[in-house]
Amino acid sequence: MNKKWMVSMSVTALLAGGVLAGCSSDNGGEGSSDEGGKTTITLAGWGGNPTEQDLLQQTLDDFEAQNPDIDVKLEVIADQYMDVMKTRLIGGEGPDVFYLDAFEAPAMIETGVLEPLDDYVTEEFDVEDFEAPLLEAFQKDGVTYGFPKDYSTLALFYNKTMFEEAGVEVPTTWEEMMEVSKALTKDGVYGYGVAPELARQYFVAESLGGSVVEDNMANFGSDEVIEALQPVIDQHNVDKTSAQPSEVGASSGGDMFGQQRAAMVIEGNWNIPYLEETFPELEYGTAEVPTINGEKGTMAFTVSYVMNAASEKKEASWKLIEYLTGKEGMETWTSKGFALPTRKSVAEELGYANDELRGPLVAGAEYATVWANGTNLPTITNNFNNQFVSAFLGERPLDEALKEAEEQANSEIEANN
Amino acid sequence: MNRKYSRKRLQEAGQGYFFMSPTLFVLACFILGPIFYAVFLSFHNVRLLGETAFNFVGFANYERVFDDRRALIALWNTFKYVIIVVPCQTVLAIILAATLNAGMKGEKFFRIVYFLPTLTSSAVLTLIFMWMYNREGLINFGLETLGLPTYDFIGDPNIALTAIMIMNIWATAPFFMVIYLAALQDIPDSLYEAAELDGAGPIRKFWSITVPHLKPITSFVVIMGIIGTFQLFDQSYIFSGGSGGPDNSTLTVVLLIYQYAFKTLDTMGYATAIAFMLAIVILIATLLQRKFSKEENLY
Repeated sequence: MNKKWMVSMSVTALLAGGVLAGCSSDNGGEGSSDEGGKTTITLAGWGGNPTEQDLLQQTLDDFEAQNPDIDVKLEVIADQYMDVMKTRLIGGEGPDVFYLDAFEAPAMIETGVLEPLDDYVTEEFDVEDFEAPLLEAFQKDGVTYGFPKDYSTLALFYNKTMFEEAGVEVPTTWEEMMEVSKALTKDGVYGYGVAPELARQYFVAESLGGSVVEDNMANFGSDEVIEALQPVIDQHNVDKTSAQPSEVGASSGGDMFGQQRAAMVIEGNWNIPYLEETFPELEYGTAEVPTINGEKGTMAFTVSYVMNAASEKKEASWKLIEYLTGKEGMETWTSKGFALPTRKSVAEELGYANDELRGPLVAGAEYATVWANGTNLPTITNNFNNQFVSAFLGERPLDEALKEAEEQANSEIEANN
Repeated sequence: MNRKYSRKRLQEAGQGYFFMSPTLFVLACFILGPIFYAVFLSFHNVRLLGETAFNFVGFANYERVFDDRRALIALWNTFKYVIIVVPCQTVLAIILAATLNAGMKGEKFFRIVYFLPTLTSSAVLTLIFMWMYNREGLINFGLETLGLPTYDFIGDPNIALTAIMIMNIWATAPFFMVIYLAALQDIPDSLYEAAELDGAGPIRKFWSITVPHLKPITSFVVIMGIIGTFQLFDQSYIFSGGSGGPDNSTLTVVLLIYQYAFKTLDTMGYATAIAFMLAIVILIATLLQRKFSKEENLY
């Protein structure tokens, strides 16, 4: 009897032990190793195309060569970047340094998971060199939480062959664009490929003096905003000279433009290497976004490197951020033109302002609206996009759709507080 | 004597529990624990990122559902989806199974062909269908060739949910067909023979013998169908890129839960409250279904 007991006890203990071991995640080697005096820090970001990844790897190799005591482990999060990042930060498994989009920055700063970087900054780092609006996107109450690694602006991409055939000039105002769209639309080709979403339409929405976000609440149902966006809807439903990518079976504006289903699109500089690789025979040019009411406008999207406040290797992490956003690292990273340098000195050095294709994009930086505004922009965007599309497809009047979406957005925001 | 007996019993019971302890531990750790934690969360306003904070709010999260227009849309979409998909896939499964059971030529070949969709993962299936549903994809091409109107299946709010319904019926019906097929083999041939002697045609035999004999299976299939369709997530997630668009037309309850739990910060408590309400809805639907098909034992 006793013997039986012993056996059953030990079997149970073994089994339970096995389960427990399976439960507790193995933390060994995850960033906390200091093998041979080397500090390993993790850097997380989303993936780009292979060429872009090579550039990043090269920048990191240069950094490691200069800092032999630091090892950088790059983690690429392929999909749903912010969801993964938030979950990992909650679980205490966040990386030391990671990418953060300006759009998500205010909400993340508020939670306190980001390390304020001002105390680390040295004179040599030269903060003044950054384009001010891009840096401001990662600041709160004068404290800096991230340094922008690069940015992209939007410009007008136009198909040179189609423009020649139709015998029209590149538009410089929104009215001209409407006119040339009519001349360019024929046989399944649309004059203008449009992205009916807030990230692209923000500057259009505010072109008549309205504001999409006011006091951190949705305000896109205001008359000025509706009036400013009405032409976008009318061009699609009345003139029938514009289409969104899904209407012609394309996956993105760039794809639509490359497949020659649209003669014009407003896209960012990521589109230049994309077109070169996927549609090398395409004859196209770029121009600044047409003016609305005589005012220039475009969007700027920026991403920064931020440090996890819970990181145990802050000195090494700062060294990495310092290098990546410093003059040398940024020059390597932006040398191929996937994204534009946020430092004035690097931009000058690389001479993108004089580049035929990238010139209009660089010029946009001056007057661009940075895609970030308060902690509630994700909620506001979600509701805007949902209803704007139905107006775009002609299912309901724009004013009704946007007023309803604004109400919904604000009720969600209020309920969250 | 009595004491000794109870001690022995105790010992035996203890031994039993010891042997079960790994399983009990796993159940407590991964099933019961999360359920209780979710109940706990649904009564709080939770802040997980940064400084963790739990704020007791009572039933506020549950009440909030009724003021949330998107939650009501999601519920309505899911309801429509269940009401249409469950009967369609059940009927289709019976018909497929009956044709396969009729003993026609190439039966094995068709059995494999019918069952193929079930083997594909739903994510891959959705991607394939999206490609076919494309504005210039296979389905529109077919419609155009036949001179029928074409649709923007993915971009048009009026059609997007229907497109997912068709896809899902096509993908799940074969799975239930196999279950029906097994049940069909169990129906004694003598019944059909007797019916034939009485002059019953194939349709009459189907309605008077096959369908009633399949009732317990139908009950199972419908319940599984209800549970499965109420939990629709992956198809609509991939279809809409996680947004539930266009115009909230593919927003389902589970997708909404996902959005509140992971997309917006500080709404985890609200998300768990919706999840609980969904669980209750599924429970009620299942109970109702069981009540309506009470006389399960036919034999």
